[in-house]
Amino acid sequence: MSIEAVAPGTGSHARPVAAPPAGGDGTGALLSLRGLRKRFGALVALDDVSLDIARSEIHCLLGENGAGKSTLCNLIFGVHAPDAGEMVLDGRPHRPGGPRDALAQGIAMVHQHFSLVSDLTVVDNLLLGQARGVLDRAACAQRVAALADEYGLAIAPRARIADLSVGERQRVEIIKCLMRSPRLLVLDEPTAVLLPDEIRALLAVCERVAAGGCSVVLVTHKLAEVERAAHRATVLRLGRVVARSDAPARDMRALVRAMIQRDLSGLGAMAGAALGTDAVATAAAADAGAAARTITRRPSAAVVLDVEDLVMHDAGGVVALDHVGLAVHEGEILGIAGVEGNGQSELAAVLSGMTVAASGRYRVGAHDLFGRPPKAVTRAGVGVVPEDRHRVGCVPTMPLAENLFLDRLHEFRRFGLLDRRALLAKAAASMREFDVRASGADQPFERLSGGNQQKAVLARELTVPGLRLLIAAQPTRGLDVGAVEAVYGYIRRACERGLAVLLISSELDELLAMCHRIAVMYRGRIMGECDARPDERARIGAWMAGHAA
Amino acid sequence: MSAIASRRALPRIDRGVWLPLLAVVTALAIGALLVAATGVALPDAAAAFADGAWGSGYAIGASINRALAIGLVGLGFIVAQRANLTNVGGEGQIALGGIAATAMSLYGGASHLAGPLAFVMPMLAATLAGAAWGAIAGAMKVRFGTNEVISTLLLSFIGIWVLYGCVQSEALLRQPMTTSATLPESLEIPEATHLPRLWGEADVPLHVGLPLALLLCAVVAVVINRTVFGTMLRAVGANPDAARRAGMPIGGCIVLAMAIAGAFGGLAGALMLQGEQWTLKARFSSGYGFDGLVVGLLARGSVKGVIASALLFGFLRSGGINMELVANVPSAIVVVIQGLIIVTLAAAALWIERGAVR
Amino acid sequence: MDTHALELLAVFVGSTLRLATPMLFAASGELVSERAGVLNLSVEGMMLLGAFAGAMGSLYSGSPLVGVLAAVLAVIPLALLQAFLSNTLRANQIVSGIGLNLVVLGATTVLYRQWLGSRSRVQIPGIDRWAPPGLSDIPVFGAVFVQSALLYVGLAVLVIAAWVLRATAVGLAVHAAGAEPRALDQSGGSVQRVRYGAVLFCGVMSALGGAFISLGDIHTFTENMTAGTGYLALVAVIFGNWRMGRTVFACLFFGAATALQFQLPAMGLNVPNALLIMLPYLMALLAVGGVMGRQTPPAYLTLAYRR
Repeated sequence: MSIEAVAPGTGSHARPVAAPPAGGDGTGALLSLRGLRKRFGALVALDDVSLDIARSEIHCLLGENGAGKSTLCNLIFGVHAPDAGEMVLDGRPHRPGGPRDALAQGIAMVHQHFSLVSDLTVVDNLLLGQARGVLDRAACAQRVAALADEYGLAIAPRARIADLSVGERQRVEIIKCLMRSPRLLVLDEPTAVLLPDEIRALLAVCERVAAGGCSVVLVTHKLAEVERAAHRATVLRLGRVVARSDAPARDMRALVRAMIQRDLSGLGAMAGAALGTDAVATAAAADAGAAARTITRRPSAAVVLDVEDLVMHDAGGVVALDHVGLAVHEGEILGIAGVEGNGQSELAAVLSGMTVAASGRYRVGAHDLFGRPPKAVTRAGVGVVPEDRHRVGCVPTMPLAENLFLDRLHEFRRFGLLDRRALLAKAAASMREFDVRASGADQPFERLSGGNQQKAVLARELTVPGLRLLIAAQPTRGLDVGAVEAVYGYIRRACERGLAVLLISSELDELLAMCHRIAVMYRGRIMGECDARPDERARIGAWMAGHAA
Repeated sequence: MSAIASRRALPRIDRGVWLPLLAVVTALAIGALLVAATGVALPDAAAAFADGAWGSGYAIGASINRALAIGLVGLGFIVAQRANLTNVGGEGQIALGGIAATAMSLYGGASHLAGPLAFVMPMLAATLAGAAWGAIAGAMKVRFGTNEVISTLLLSFIGIWVLYGCVQSEALLRQPMTTSATLPESLEIPEATHLPRLWGEADVPLHVGLPLALLLCAVVAVVINRTVFGTMLRAVGANPDAARRAGMPIGGCIVLAMAIAGAFGGLAGALMLQGEQWTLKARFSSGYGFDGLVVGLLARGSVKGVIASALLFGFLRSGGINMELVANVPSAIVVVIQGLIIVTLAAAALWIERGAVR
Repeated sequence: MDTHALELLAVFVGSTLRLATPMLFAASGELVSERAGVLNLSVEGMMLLGAFAGAMGSLYSGSPLVGVLAAVLAVIPLALLQAFLSNTLRANQIVSGIGLNLVVLGATTVLYRQWLGSRSRVQIPGIDRWAPPGLSDIPVFGAVFVQSALLYVGLAVLVIAAWVLRATAVGLAVHAAGAEPRALDQSGGSVQRVRYGAVLFCGVMSALGGAFISLGDIHTFTENMTAGTGYLALVAVIFGNWRMGRTVFACLFFGAATALQFQLPAMGLNVPNALLIMLPYLMALLAVGGVMGRQTPPAYLTLAYRR
């Protein structure tokens, strides 16, 4: 069956794609979804979604952030109930009232955000929900060992979850699913937090599982994985099915076009990087990236950010930053690559003044910022776009205007009172300059879309008085392609004006497209630094996995 | 809802207004049922209640005085609540305020001061004592991350027992024991430290505490809604990390907010002592702190809400006391009514938030 | 040590146990509830209701066992209401707890006056003491072990509860409900069911603790009989850092402080009463101030769960 895609540019007004005749009329499929609809308040998450999951297949669910993939999985797993439509599992109607029903029907799911109790051991987490009466931990440990052997998922049964790495925790989640001998395994964005090697291992597990008779639904926005592992693929966009393919590797370009409604080569490698495509992006990156970089001013020799020998321990005494040293020059974009959880968050926290390192040097220009609070950091001309804007970047319940000037409220003080009119006026100007779309500067920040929220945070940080250094951590995560392009645009333009930028990202393609140089972090150490060229990809990959190259 | 639609439809009264009202009315109705169950004729009970609450100039004055103390605690509560801090320690803060005011009046030389200073100094002492008591909880939160509900509750109990200890011991505040029947309470504070009456010799016990409280209401309203400090409190309460990143002094804000809440409690204690009671007794705070807490919760952050609720509880208390004295109805029924109001509002809180127009 | 001092010590230890018993009941119940994520400020009200219902039941039937049964039955609607407020309506757990306490306080006072008239000190058939064979025969110290039968029942329940928390699926579910309710939900468990059950357990235990006060200890009922014991139980859980062993120790410690109020004057020492009464709260304040090591409450305590 060939791919059915919608004509580019028709977006949400497209006619819904007809349901696929897998096996004729849906019989023979393990799971059939017909006409599913789901809304949350005013937001329509899924609109008339129909698809089939065949037996023993790996079915990739593709789409950008916000396309509805997670919602669909939650419907299958019973976390929510559909507003309309029906699901048929193995010929019988499937209407789970909760995860318990889905589990009883042989459906198991690994969520994007793990649901493990971190102060318990692996065994206890596996027993949760499955055991009855007195716990038999020894028997469980044995089962774990057996499964680990069978699928190649090494894990220490008595280890505490809190002591495990992200990759290991995911293995626990998968073993937890496999213990139930499911017939359908749903994995929601499993590879977002894994090293390249771990991704390969995961896909191998999926293949083994599928070969053993259990279907796998693999949700991802990274096309490279689709290429490697998928038997069939379905593309969602804005809650609708816009394309299907039964030979995804062959239909790659068309799938991408369906996902983002634009041609990959036309939009530049920067945005293409958001899709994590290996082969497709590299070629485009080579010309687009090189071209883009010649536009920017050559970085001058003046050092703006000077970090040396930074050491920090986390609450448990484990080393989080291991003698980290970096230098960023005026007009330069330095990227920090590495899978999340290798010290990048801690580095950003120290540089923004939120936490204090144990020792080391941290200077911006002439200012010594080691151990100084956030206020001093901002006054030295450092802007920070945090990786979790909801936690550190904004106060979601307060209006947009207050958020845009959260660090400068005292500028609006008149006779001891807050001059809201002036605040709103200045906010409107800022909104125009940075294209932040909202129904007024008084709207609560949380009501803005993700892209506009990020633009607002950028608007605030890029207007820090005397700005010399911008630290941006995962700035495009969770944003659609349009917002991604906008964010990149602002950063580039600021860089052209002489700003130094430290760009922390777990998307290597993004870094290759944006940066002059890339440093790689692994377990709190800088493994190495090199020019941001596509031919350095292998070396960077080796550093990311902890191999000194 | 679009602007056009709202103009055509009937004016929708905010859920946050009519639901508390409904809760109060329902609780009163249940209270009436309980009264009937005790065998007392309802009209008799109602008459005694009304008489005690607003039956005379004296009664109205007394009710308002009660409302003053309760309302001040409520004001302090909503200031702290702006920063997402819950002050449950009203009773203890009132107690500390009472201790400080008594000490200052009797032994601190306040009575020798000129004119208004004689009664202002004890009030100041009480306010500072309450502020310190509140600041302890604030400091514990900043330094150790201690939940302020727990710390203020514990401090409240401690404060009450400190008061008890003070009036039990002659070395502290107890009046000299002339006989074995001498009650454990302080001496009466000198006349100079009494709060002057507003209407001189008339039999209405309203005092300068009333205009002071009204002034404070206005100040609080301005501070939490229109100042940079108020915005900072809001940011600190909603997202301390973002506030810290934005350079706000969150530790200082938290301690200050809790200190303000405690200060209001201390001042309430001073008003109670210097306005009406004149002597410090063991059961001094007698539930006003809890009433103030409830008022703070009912008000949902608005000063007008504090005023309305405080008046309600002030009159309820006076009526309840008289109902017991005259009609032999246990004043505990008023306690039941208060509890029902609290429970109903807690139960409906989500519903109110969803429907409230802000 | 001479016999007189030993006798005093025995009296002290015996009093400590007796005074700590109501707290032991209530604190163990509240511990389970808080481990599951629900904070019950209404423990005070549940104890008072248990004391009242137990006294009334015993008085009108003549049998203290009926009283105990009445206490348990009476608290069930109250506990269900608290659970409904906390888990289903997602009400503020502190506010609703305080409200329920006031309702119970007022209601029991009114009903007591209605049925018995105020100021009456009616003697109520109480629970007998039990002298465990062997232990009570120890010279001098044997008297320590002669306690109300209810205490021994309570100790047994406590031990069983601690074991259940550690070694059964139910205990695991309780832990997960408070630490990471999503994990429980997505493993097929029911967070609501666990939390409702935990609150009910807390209610029953608190009621038994209250029944002990009116039936096991003093054999009468007075208004506001519990006088803050419920809050002390909450404080004990905090002091015990949400672990059964340490909580038991906290209850005994608080019981000892109360016993000292009577013991010290008898020994001629004149420590101000207020100080001794204040002591448990002071200790708990130091505990939450981190003086006794880090506090680790269940991560989702007071947070209602929704998918």
